[in-house]
Amino acid sequence: MAVRETRASWRRLLFFFVCIAVGVAAIVALRSIIQSVRAVFGTEAKSLIAADVLISTNRDWTPEARATIDRRLSEYGATAQTETVETPTMVRSADRSRNVARMSELRAVGPEFPLYGTLTLQGGAPYNHSLLKGQGVLVRPELLTALNVAVGEQVLIGQVPFTIRGVIVDEPGRRVGDFSLGPRVLIDTADLPATGLLTFGSRARHVLLVKMPESGIDRLVKTLQSDFKEAFINARSFRSSDDEIGRDFDRAENYLSLVGLVIVILGGIAVSSVTRVFVLQKMHAIAVLKCLGSTSIQIMAIYMLQVMVLGFAGSVLGVGLARVAIAAIPYYVTMPAATTSLLAEVHYGITWSAALQGIGIGVLVSLLFSVVPLLRVRAVKPSLLLRDESAASAGTDWTRIAALVLVSAGLVAVTAWQASSLTVGLIVCAGFSALAIVLMLAGRLLVYVVAPLANTSSFPLRHAVLHLSRPGNQTRVILLAVGLGAFFIVGVRTLQSSLLAEFSTEMTANAPDMFLMDVQRGQAAGVTSFLQDPAHGAGSFRLIPVLRARVTGVEGRETQLESFEDVRARGSLAREYTITYRDRLEPNEELAEGRFWSGPSTEPEVSIEQGIHERFQINMGDTVRFDILGRRLDAKVTSIRRVDWRDSRNGGFIFVFRPGVLDDAPQMFISPLKGPVTTAARAKFQSDLVAQFPNVSVIDFREILLTIQDVMSKVTLAISVVGGLVLFSGALILVGAVAMTKFQRVYEAAVFKTLGANTRTIARMLLFEYGVLGFLSGAVGSLGAVALSWGVSRYALDIPWRFFWMEHLGGVVATSVLVAAIGVLSSLDVLREKPLLTLRAE
Amino acid sequence: MFAGALALSLLTVVGCGGSTSSTRSASSADGQPPVSAPVAAPEQPARADNRPRVVFLGDSITAGLGLSPEQSYPTLIQQKIDAASLGYHVVNAGVSGDTSAGGLSRLDWALDGEVKVMVVALGGNDGLRGLPPEELQKNLATIIERAQARTIAVVLAGMEAPPNFGQTYTVSFRRVYADLATQYGVPLIPFLLQGVAGIEGLNQRDGIHPTAEGARTVADNVWTVLRPTLKKS
Repeated sequence: MAVRETRASWRRLLFFFVCIAVGVAAIVALRSIIQSVRAVFGTEAKSLIAADVLISTNRDWTPEARATIDRRLSEYGATAQTETVETPTMVRSADRSRNVARMSELRAVGPEFPLYGTLTLQGGAPYNHSLLKGQGVLVRPELLTALNVAVGEQVLIGQVPFTIRGVIVDEPGRRVGDFSLGPRVLIDTADLPATGLLTFGSRARHVLLVKMPESGIDRLVKTLQSDFKEAFINARSFRSSDDEIGRDFDRAENYLSLVGLVIVILGGIAVSSVTRVFVLQKMHAIAVLKCLGSTSIQIMAIYMLQVMVLGFAGSVLGVGLARVAIAAIPYYVTMPAATTSLLAEVHYGITWSAALQGIGIGVLVSLLFSVVPLLRVRAVKPSLLLRDESAASAGTDWTRIAALVLVSAGLVAVTAWQASSLTVGLIVCAGFSALAIVLMLAGRLLVYVVAPLANTSSFPLRHAVLHLSRPGNQTRVILLAVGLGAFFIVGVRTLQSSLLAEFSTEMTANAPDMFLMDVQRGQAAGVTSFLQDPAHGAGSFRLIPVLRARVTGVEGRETQLESFEDVRARGSLAREYTITYRDRLEPNEELAEGRFWSGPSTEPEVSIEQGIHERFQINMGDTVRFDILGRRLDAKVTSIRRVDWRDSRNGGFIFVFRPGVLDDAPQMFISPLKGPVTTAARAKFQSDLVAQFPNVSVIDFREILLTIQDVMSKVTLAISVVGGLVLFSGALILVGAVAMTKFQRVYEAAVFKTLGANTRTIARMLLFEYGVLGFLSGAVGSLGAVALSWGVSRYALDIPWRFFWMEHLGGVVATSVLVAAIGVLSSLDVLREKPLLTLRAE
Repeated sequence: MFAGALALSLLTVVGCGGSTSSTRSASSADGQPPVSAPVAAPEQPARADNRPRVVFLGDSITAGLGLSPEQSYPTLIQQKIDAASLGYHVVNAGVSGDTSAGGLSRLDWALDGEVKVMVVALGGNDGLRGLPPEELQKNLATIIERAQARTIAVVLAGMEAPPNFGQTYTVSFRRVYADLATQYGVPLIPFLLQGVAGIEGLNQRDGIHPTAEGARTVADNVWTVLRPTLKKS
C-alpha cells in the first residue's frame, strides 16, 4: 500500500525527497570538511611544538623524575620520544684572529627529532640527523653574518670546534611565545658533553618530546602535572592554550564545532518542515482510506513506512550529493596560490562518521516530525471528505503529548550526539525552543497587527493579510523554519566576522618585528640616528622611555593607604611597575574617564589603567605616592585609560605620567621597530647596531611572527570557507523548506483564478504574504543572532563581543527578499496552469 | 639578574604579535611575573634619616625580586649594622633587570645625600645576556671612578657568568672583577652568590634568584667584606 501511495503522488514525494537530500548533504559535506580541517589544525599545532606532548624542566632531571615519566609514558602508550637540550651559549669563529662572539640559542637534538614538522634548510637540502653527526652544526643565517663565517667553516662551541653543515630556514618546535637573545644553533646530543657547557651552575632547559596516540594525550598531561606539582617540571600538549596561538586554535575549533551543530539543526529544520507539510497534505487521502475501512494503525504504518523509506533514500542521495560537492571544492578554493597550503592538506572526502550521522539525522528527524502530525490520523473522520479542514479536536490528547515529549527527547539526543555533550545539547535545545516560542508569539502579533489591513481596498493586500490568519495558514511554519534558519546563519556569520577581526589584530603586517632594550639615555640620540639612517634599512620605530617605580601609598576617596605596608596588604599593587611618560594616547588605548593632558607640566599627573582603578578603587582625583628609584613622587590621577592588552605592540603601561617631572629621573629606552626585510639585512643590522652600542640587546621575533601569521592565515581561510559553505547550504535548505509550502497555496490560487483573479494579482498577493513573513522571521532571527553571538563570543570563544550591523541588517533584507522570491517563483507553475487542472488534481 | 622577569616584561611590552603569555590580565601588564609581586621596599621614612648612607647599587638580587622587603639582603645588612651600632643607613638602589650600563646612567640619582659607602653589585644581567666583558669592565670602572672622586668608599661584588656560556666567556667575565679590584684598590666580594648559585633549595623557581634563606647567605658574603670598611660614625 505504501508503494502504491508513493506511486500516486510521486511529484510531491520527489520534492520531499530532494529537500531531505539537500539537508543531509549539507550536514555530511560540512561535517566532513570540518573534521578534516580540524585534523589539519592538529598537525599544524603539533608541528609548532614538534610533538604531541612536551615535558620540560630548567633543572637536571632527577632519576626519580625520569622513572616516573618513563612509567607514565608506557602507561599511556607513547610511541616515540626524544630529548632535546636548550641552552644559551657563546659561539665564536674557530679562526682566533676573528675575535667576535655571538650569544646563541644552542639546541642539542637526537636522531628522532623532530617528531612532527620538517626542518627546512637553505638551498632546499633535506634535513637529516646525519648532518649533525661528528661535530656538525646547523646555524641560523644571523650567526654567519655576526661571526663572518661561511658554511663549511668551523665555529667554537665551548672549546670544541664544530663544522657548519647548513643554514636553518625554518625549524619546528621553536617555542612560540618565547623570545631568544640569539640565533638558533643545532648540534647532535652526542656531541654536547664534550663541549663542557653543562656543569654545575649551568642554565639549560631539558625537553622531552613525546609522540603518542590521541586518546591518551590529555590524560597523560594531567597525570604528569599532578605528579610534578611540587617539582620544576612542566608538561603540556600541542593543544595547550597557554599562549595566544593555542587559544586561537581553541577558538577556531570551538567555532567549527558550533558550525557543525548549527548545520545539523538547520538540516533538521528543513527536514521537519518538509515532513510536516507533506503529512498535512495527506489528510484527504487518509480520510478516503478511512472511508474504505482502514484502521488508524494501518494508515499510520503506511505513512511512517513511506516517510522512513523516503527519508533514508533522500539521506543516501544527500551523502552522494555531499561527495560530489566536496570533490568540487578544491577546484574553486585553491586557485589563489597563497591559499593552497592548508586546503591542499585537507582531505577532501566524506568521513564515515559524518555520513552515518547525516543519514541518521535524515531518517530520525523525518520520522520524529511525521509522528506527531500522523497521530492526528486517529482524529481524522471520513466526514472530512465532505466538509473542509479539520475541526479543532476536543479534549487533551495524552498520546499526542507523550509523542511530543518523545520527539523532544529524540531531538535533544540528536543534538547532544552532535555536540558530544548532553549539557550543550540541552542548552541548544532550550535556546531553540525559546526562540521558537518567540517566533510563534511574533506570528500571532503579526496577524493581530496586520488585521486592520484586511479591510484595505487593495485586493492582493487584503487577501495576503487574510492568508496569514486563515485556517491552515503557513505563518507559523515559515516563521519557525526561516526564523530559526536566519538566526543560525546570521549568528554564524557574525561570529565568523568577529573571530576573523580578532585574528587580524594579531596579524597586522606593519607590526614591529624587532625590539631593542636597554638603550641608555646617553645613547638615545645615537640610536635614533642609526635607525633613521636608510642604509640600515629599519622601518618605523619609536623610543619609549621606561622607569621602574613602586606604589607606596594612596590618598583617595575610597582608598587610603598610608604606608608601603598598607600597599603590600593589597597584594599585587605593591610590585615593581614599569612606567613611562608621554603626552598622547596609543592606538590600543582609549580614555575611560577624565582628560588626557597635552604638553609637559611640573605638577605630577598620572593616568591609570582601568583594571587598577577597578581592583584597587583608585579614582580620578586621588593622589598616588610613588617611589621612583628611592625618590618620592606624589602624582594626581587625572585620567583613567582602557588598554587593549592583546594589542600592546607599542607598549602597555599601567601608569603613564605627564611629561615634565620624570624627564630627569634615571631611565632607559626600549624600542619596538620594524626591522629590515631580508634575513641578510636583518643580520647585518643587528651586528652593526651592537658594534656601535654594545650594551643594547636586540630581540628579533620576526620568525615567530611569521610562523604565527602563517598558521593564522590558514585558520582564517578555513573558517571563511566553512562559513561560506554554511551560508550557501543554509540558504539552499531554506529554499527547500519554503518552496514546500507552495502545495498549500496551489488550491487557493486555482480558486482565485476561477473567481477571476489574474496571474499578476495572485503573484502580488504571494509576494506580499511571503515578503512579510520573510521580513518578520529575518528580523526575529537577526535579533536572536545578536544574543547568540554575544553568548558564544563571551562564553565559548572568549573574545570580546563585536556588533556587525551590516551582517544583521543584511540578514533581514536577504531573508525577506529570498522568502518573497521563493514564494512567488515556486508557485509559478501553479500560476501558469489552468485552474481546472489543479482543482481536479486536488 | 632578571632573565625570567625580563622575558615577560619584554614580551608584554612589545606584544609580540599576540603570541605572548597572557597579556590579558592587568596584573601582568607591564610584565612582572606574579611571583615577583612583593619586592624590596624602598625605605621611605629613611629619606629623613640623617645617618650616613651605605648605598647598594645593584640589580634584582639586590632589589630582592620575589622576596618581601625585609628578606632582601640589603635589609639584612641594615640589621647587622644596627646590631653592631655602626650608625649607617642602608639605601637599596637595586633595580630589577639593570645592567652595568643602566647602573652607570643612574649613578648620580642613586648617590643622593651623604653617601659614605657604595656596594656595587652589578653585572648579573650583563652575564645573562652575554654582553661583552670589556663593556662590563668599562662601565664598572667609570662607576668606581666617579664614586671615588666623591670620596665614597666602594665595595665591589663579583659575579659569574653561567658555565653554559663557555669557558672563554666565563673566565674573562670573572677576571673583570678581580682586575678592577686590584686596579682601584677596592675590597672585593669574590662571588656575591657564593654558596647559593646552583643549589636547589636556595633558589627560587626560576633558578636565578635566591630564596629568603639564600639571601641570608648572600648577606653573610657581603658582610664579611663590607664590615671592615664601616667605621663607627
